[in-house]
Amino acid sequence: MHDKTWVPVANSTDLAPHHVFQGRLMGQELAIWRADDGHVNVWENRCLHRGVRLSIGINTGSELVCQYHGWRYANRNAGCTYIPAHPADAPARTICSKTWPVIETGGLIWTHFEDRDPPLPELPEGGAALRPLPLAAAPEMVRESLAGLAPEGFGPLDETLQARGPAGSLHLMVQPADAGRAVIRGIVQSDEPELALLRRLNLFLRSARDQILAQAALTPAPEPIPHRPERVSEELAEMPEMVSGPARLRVQVAKKELVAKDIVALELEPLRGALPASQPGAHIDVALPNGLLRQYSLVNAPGETGRYVIGVKREPESTGGSAAIHDSLAEGDLLAISEPRNNFTLRRDVEETILVAGGIGVTPLLSMAAALKDDGLPFRLHYFAGSEEQIAFGERLAALGDRLVNYIGLDPEKTALALKGILKSPAPHAQVYVCGPAPMLDVTRATAAEAGWPDAAVHFEYFANTREIDTSSSFRIELARSAVTLEVPAGRSILSVLQEAGVAPPSSCCQGACGTCMARVIEGEPDHQDVYLSEAEKAAGDKILTCVSRAKSDRLILDL
Amino acid sequence: MIKLYDFDLSGNCYKVRLLLGILGLEFERKNVDFFPGFKHRAAEFLAVNPLGQLPVLEDGDLSLRDSHAILVYLASKYDGSGRWYPTGDAALLGEIQQWLSLAEGLTATASAARLAEGMDFDFDAEAARKGAYRLFDVLDEHLWFREREGSDWICAPAHPTIADLACFPYVMLSEEGGVSREDYPAIRRWTDRVKRIPGFSVMPGIFPAQLGS
Repeated sequence: MHDKTWVPVANSTDLAPHHVFQGRLMGQELAIWRADDGHVNVWENRCLHRGVRLSIGINTGSELVCQYHGWRYANRNAGCTYIPAHPADAPARTICSKTWPVIETGGLIWTHFEDRDPPLPELPEGGAALRPLPLAAAPEMVRESLAGLAPEGFGPLDETLQARGPAGSLHLMVQPADAGRAVIRGIVQSDEPELALLRRLNLFLRSARDQILAQAALTPAPEPIPHRPERVSEELAEMPEMVSGPARLRVQVAKKELVAKDIVALELEPLRGALPASQPGAHIDVALPNGLLRQYSLVNAPGETGRYVIGVKREPESTGGSAAIHDSLAEGDLLAISEPRNNFTLRRDVEETILVAGGIGVTPLLSMAAALKDDGLPFRLHYFAGSEEQIAFGERLAALGDRLVNYIGLDPEKTALALKGILKSPAPHAQVYVCGPAPMLDVTRATAAEAGWPDAAVHFEYFANTREIDTSSSFRIELARSAVTLEVPAGRSILSVLQEAGVAPPSSCCQGACGTCMARVIEGEPDHQDVYLSEAEKAAGDKILTCVSRAKSDRLILDL
Repeated sequence: MIKLYDFDLSGNCYKVRLLLGILGLEFERKNVDFFPGFKHRAAEFLAVNPLGQLPVLEDGDLSLRDSHAILVYLASKYDGSGRWYPTGDAALLGEIQQWLSLAEGLTATASAARLAEGMDFDFDAEAARKGAYRLFDVLDEHLWFREREGSDWICAPAHPTIADLACFPYVMLSEEGGVSREDYPAIRRWTDRVKRIPGFSVMPGIFPAQLGS
């Protein structure tokens, strides 16, 4: 129906702030919207959930929210960032709206359905876009009918629908909306007053449209091009994200900046294409030049999809991770990272959210705070820092206004007292998110329990598991799915035995902090040594972190 | 207290509810079961409005039928800003009336198609749709050039008037009658703007344009 070219599908002025434009190209409905950062998104006009048009949804400036069940999709990468019906689960990364490439030039938005980018349209500099004129006629016929017409002052339109005359130059395009539908678009360059000229050309196109429609009425309308919606299965939609092991993404360090004493911020940009969607609370694995794999939370606010931002503190007792980043990593360096994973999911269906940060633990909470602020949900961020100069990401903190409460230089005793104050009255529809050093998290856990907070309402993200791991036990594991029985001797972890047998789940931190290597326990009593599972989860005994935890019983049957 | 003879699914009643909400006026609702009860044709309601049409507004001794008459009355009496129906501006009043008449046309076309498709009324839906598309075309062109002139609204340059409220409901409900707005981008942008007017309220079939509203 058209040669391999970019096709105009909207005028730039169609994309008003926080508006979602409904378009169509070759029978495919499009939802086109501009985010607050200026990026234009051209997506399939269907929510992956129930197929509702995204064009009736809400453009928040950073995300598109489906009007029906509130699924949210991120600017640029179109990844699903939140499913309200599953508020405690991170959406699978594979839930991603269909997107097409986009350019904006000549006051028009262009896209194409080809496998690789066609050459850019050759357009003269400047000019004004005409009022688009849709009509129910075959695009080919519209093109043929327009060629030869002579708008006053421009002379006849040639076969490429271009005309030049004393009034200036005119370039028309026919957008093939469907087999029997077209939109006439155009750009005009002229010294004449713009508004009067646009009105004159609108009248010209209207009379051309009426002629073409009269002609089209003589032939039967062609069948519409069938629509091929892409959907995600119910199963996938309801399943929390599967974790993946290796650091598969390549990024470049676009910026390295000291944002507080001993804390650097890294901005990581993709080498090509868009970064996968992340959600508040998500982290990435970073493979460091010295061979270590380390986890860092993303600081990104909603819609901040062009780069990942992480904060790294130089740890005096560092095993080499933070030192490698502080000392040897430079702007322009390449890094291998994992796709974002989320074990610290933010619920957005609660009446009040309490965020508690200790030191560099503020990073995932900054992302959460920005999301809550965007949504207009009530929250407070309590930030414990050793000193003023250790407060990182000042600009992001300042944006939170009076929802930020700082606690500077408190000793453990005063910190405990402050935490008691923050958590003194458990509210039925409130949630607490805590990230910080292990001792502070332990105190918070105890304080919350004492105050009567239910386990499920208090969420923790540990940097590391600083407890000593007891590896003295030996036991047998039976893998129900793999039909394998393995011995775990003293001194070795379940995970390493599984890895040796080639049936290991993905793993990441290897110290019982990140939750990646979790397996389901079918039978047997786990000996939990991690800091990831809640007390209730540990007591239930149906999950185990295979990297550090072991068995109290002689054998464990795992769902692997 | 103002009393409104009202029906949830009626676009003409919704126009009045919109302005009442925007002006922050308290009112008492008297529901008239238009569908499926057809109570607008019952003797009890015919005593209120012999034409058997909704809405009807009662304010003190005054009883008014016709949604546009009610908009004119409410804006003239209760709008302190004098913007929704600027009684001192002859040209603007003329323009407003011109678009109230087009809104009347929308009731006869887009609304008729919706009643035929959704509530089994014996109207020629195809003819109604054709009429609606003709009006949409005129409105879209008008709004497109209004935007070029720097105005977001149908009549006045800097603020909405009752003309915007009068045209809005049956434009926004058109898809229930099989009238697509896909080919009218300027109309779609304008409906987003109407939805962001402070005090805006929704009705069944009309969604908000922002979160948390």
